[in-house]
Amino acid sequence: METFVEIKPGRKPLQRIYLGTMLWFVGRAIQAAARVDNQVKKEFQSMPPNYTFSLGAFPNGPYMVVGKNDRGKATYLGGDLSKQPVDLEMTLKSMEHLFVLFTFRESTPTANSRDRMIVNGDVPQACAAVRILDIVQVYLLPKFIARLAIKRYPKWSLKRHTLDRTLILIRTLIGI
Amino acid sequence: MYIPEYYEFCCRVNMVAGHDALEKIPELLVSMGASNPMVLTDKGVRAAGLVDILITAMADKLCIKTIEDEVPPDSDLKVVNRLAGVYREKGCDAIIAIGGGSVLDTAKGINILVSENSDDLLQFTGAGALKRKLKPLIAIPTTAGTGSEVTIAAVIADHEKNRKMIFGSYFLLPDVAIIDSRMTLTLPVHITAATAMDAMAHAVESFVMLSKNPLSDAHATEAIGLICRHLPRVIQDPQDKEGRLALATAATLAGIAFSNATVGMVHALGHSVGSVCHVPHGTCMAILLPYGLEYNCHKVEERIADLLLPLAGADLYTRTPQKDRAAAAIACIRQLNRDLNQSTGGAHAVCFKDIKDREGNLSVPENSLPQIAQTALGDGTLFYNPEDMDYDDCLRVLQAAWEGIPLNTRTSKESQR
Ligand SMILES: [Fe+2]
Repeated sequence: METFVEIKPGRKPLQRIYLGTMLWFVGRAIQAAARVDNQVKKEFQSMPPNYTFSLGAFPNGPYMVVGKNDRGKATYLGGDLSKQPVDLEMTLKSMEHLFVLFTFRESTPTANSRDRMIVNGDVPQACAAVRILDIVQVYLLPKFIARLAIKRYPKWSLKRHTLDRTLILIRTLIGI
Repeated sequence: MYIPEYYEFCCRVNMVAGHDALEKIPELLVSMGASNPMVLTDKGVRAAGLVDILITAMADKLCIKTIEDEVPPDSDLKVVNRLAGVYREKGCDAIIAIGGGSVLDTAKGINILVSENSDDLLQFTGAGALKRKLKPLIAIPTTAGTGSEVTIAAVIADHEKNRKMIFGSYFLLPDVAIIDSRMTLTLPVHITAATAMDAMAHAVESFVMLSKNPLSDAHATEAIGLICRHLPRVIQDPQDKEGRLALATAATLAGIAFSNATVGMVHALGHSVGSVCHVPHGTCMAILLPYGLEYNCHKVEERIADLLLPLAGADLYTRTPQKDRAAAAIACIRQLNRDLNQSTGGAHAVCFKDIKDREGNLSVPENSLPQIAQTALGDGTLFYNPEDMDYDDCLRVLQAAWEGIPLNTRTSKESQR
């Protein structure tokens, strides 16, 4: 008799791997950007101590959690929501919606305006988190893709585009 | 017409409008199985004699169990808890809320407690915490502006713990909104102008912001047309009953539009001016609205151009070439503000530096603009603005609105590279 590997419908393992990787990158890049980029640093400073926020898909993820540690430094806390209390949850209503977002077919503002996202937490911090995500996307993505993801491609100094970007990419990959 | 790939629209409030709409209340309550309402209002509304109009209209057809007018201008948890006790004590079975946003929010809070038989409002905060229908609630708006009679949210402040509780549920919507011209007939002209411009801002913003859809657009354009046709006339003749009813109808239409399509930067900046400098919301809306359009114009020019039709009528619309329509629409709103300024003897301000308090001091001092800009960055309505806004952008817009000079639209475009 043959044995079958059962693939459950709706699970979409490839999509899950892609999204998990993207979220891992974004999470680590936020940690890196908070050490290199002044604007991201400032946004984190405005958040209360030990503040955490997450981005992910309802109901089973994947997720990424970022937060301020005891010394006030922004840290990527992994992909598990249950490991720590999360102060601000930004959740796409399904993995499909997150996939559309992370394949840049729909910008974050568009996804939000089409009611695909649930934001649970304080509004000022949610605004700050969205600004952080926007900046990180500019660092991670080539301009022609970043333009699809955010409302306005920012005017940055050459140093920010080259030196800071390189530093952030290196830090993201090695995780410091 | 812009048809998004996906949109949602919902409005489930029963509207009863007219010059004698109040008289319908007893019948409406009976149809909802209630007959012992609590009337909730604030001192200002009561002093204006509006509750008396309601009582006269009810004659002997309805037994009002109690009239409570202790609602503060800012809804308050303690008041909600106390009034929920009164509701139970007096054996009420429905609430009639007559007043503005704070009265209605308080009514929604009381309704949660008495319907869920709870003493702890905190349990029901956030979206989706309410699972079933609440007790009958009738809303009678007394300013033609906020549109809160058709919005699903309620904000109740816990002043002791210094925080705000936000509730969101379709079950919080009033069952009926009564739009009666008698409720706004005595509203002073400058308040009439400001509240109508709040409604205008709801309609215009819902039409240009990111979540617009064909159904919200239909409500928005009708609201804009009604305001443009009737507001100047009502300011000339405050006793114009038809005009008053038209403005109240426009406010409700605009409320339906923005609760299904959201507002944007005009409200983000306006909320912030309000919270930092305590300027009335409608005044902020009137001043900021043209700037909100100018700022976003390079992204949504076509939408703004379409606004010229309801703003100016078919004649001017057809005479204006397409490329000039957006600018003409913005000019129309500025002109409306200037006309209102004239006809209210200067009480309707057209820029922030013109607003003075009773002692003649500036209500919005120029050095408060940085704090306002910083506050605006934490306002969620910015999410729905077509163009991004950072601190410098907010400050630039506020500065222009403070001085009353048009925004340099080139700068907005250039930052978009
Ligand atoms: Fe408003």
